[in-house]
Amino acid sequence: MTERRYASDFLTEMFNNPLDAGYAEAARRRAERGPDSAGRRIVGRGARALVLVATGFLLMVAYHQTVAGQPESSRVRAGLVADVQARQHETDLLQQQADRLRDDVSRQRDAALAAAGTDAAALNQLELATGTGRVRGPGTVVRLVDATPPVDPVTGKANGKNLGVVLDRDLQKVTNELWHDGAEAISINGERLSATSTIRTAGSTILVDFRPISSPYLVTAIGPEDLDRRFTGSRTGQLFRAIASQYGMQVSVNRVGDLTLPAAPDPQLHYAQPVPTDSPSTPVSGSPGSPVPSSPGGR
Amino acid sequence: MFAVLALVVGVGLGAFFEPSVPLALQPYLPIAVVAALDAVFGGIRAKLDGVFDDKQFVVSFVSNVLVAGLIVFLGDKLGVGTQLSTGVVVVLGVRIFGNVAGIRRRLFRA
Repeated sequence: MTERRYASDFLTEMFNNPLDAGYAEAARRRAERGPDSAGRRIVGRGARALVLVATGFLLMVAYHQTVAGQPESSRVRAGLVADVQARQHETDLLQQQADRLRDDVSRQRDAALAAAGTDAAALNQLELATGTGRVRGPGTVVRLVDATPPVDPVTGKANGKNLGVVLDRDLQKVTNELWHDGAEAISINGERLSATSTIRTAGSTILVDFRPISSPYLVTAIGPEDLDRRFTGSRTGQLFRAIASQYGMQVSVNRVGDLTLPAAPDPQLHYAQPVPTDSPSTPVSGSPGSPVPSSPGGR
Repeated sequence: MFAVLALVVGVGLGAFFEPSVPLALQPYLPIAVVAALDAVFGGIRAKLDGVFDDKQFVVSFVSNVLVAGLIVFLGDKLGVGTQLSTGVVVVLGVRIFGNVAGIRRRLFRA
């Protein structure tokens, strides 16, 4: 009477004896039948060689697939980045050209006005106020930097939501407060704000007048000597101190003795027309050195 | 020696032709590679055990690759392609480790 044997289940079998049972079977058959004939051996060797060639081929193909697949995406990305940079460079060149031409125009206009005997200083004052002319003077720089994203200590990857990222709202608050504190001209990362300027977000990028800017954000303002103290003492200043201590956003306010702000691009007005008044008089009558009331309208 | 030579020839062919895998076959490639490795390590183990058999080797290779591909294909159709791929890799990986352990015991007596 033979003892009934239970075949161990598949997983145990596999862990205990991973070798194909077929090999042992074939060996037993061979032992019973004697060695194979020469023809069979040659065919067998050929098939074995073929399988090994196929294995090597497969390995190489997989290697290529993995290695070649990686640079493909990064190559496309690099191409796009280069494209963007080239276009940005182009825009900068055009902007410089526009600035040069604008300088040219204003020089010629000044000369024409002087020849006609009109006061060119009044026009310059208007230009300063609207932001379409370059200006210099003492002021304050507010620097906002995105908080470094929280890093998972195990994986080393960024995790969670970074709450210390500078948003368009933050820049709007800062510029509003600066205007309120008496700033006369403001630019953000070299983009001068004018009466038609916008500060908004597209995707995760902040656009100032449709030009993308990125961290660190430098809000440069020309204004009274104590502009920095007024800003830090304000409600907005307190808010940003709180944000800095709580979410890690880096905020610094520094007074700078001499700042030069670029000109804003001409606001191409198509619909707004001047309203004719009964008494044509120059709206600004002060000397060139006196402060010009900046117009925070339009934002 | 002969086997290693055949393997090297295969690698050379792959490097020479640099074939691009059709998109439809790409999910099967890693599974096919693992299945082929399983067959190869099984063959090496059998060789060291002195029970190597050409027919068994060829059949195990072909069936491994085909069945692995079929399982992944079925999984894709059923919407559990990644899970089944993982399953196939785990099973074949265990077999490969077991066979490598056998080879190691043979070669180093450890």
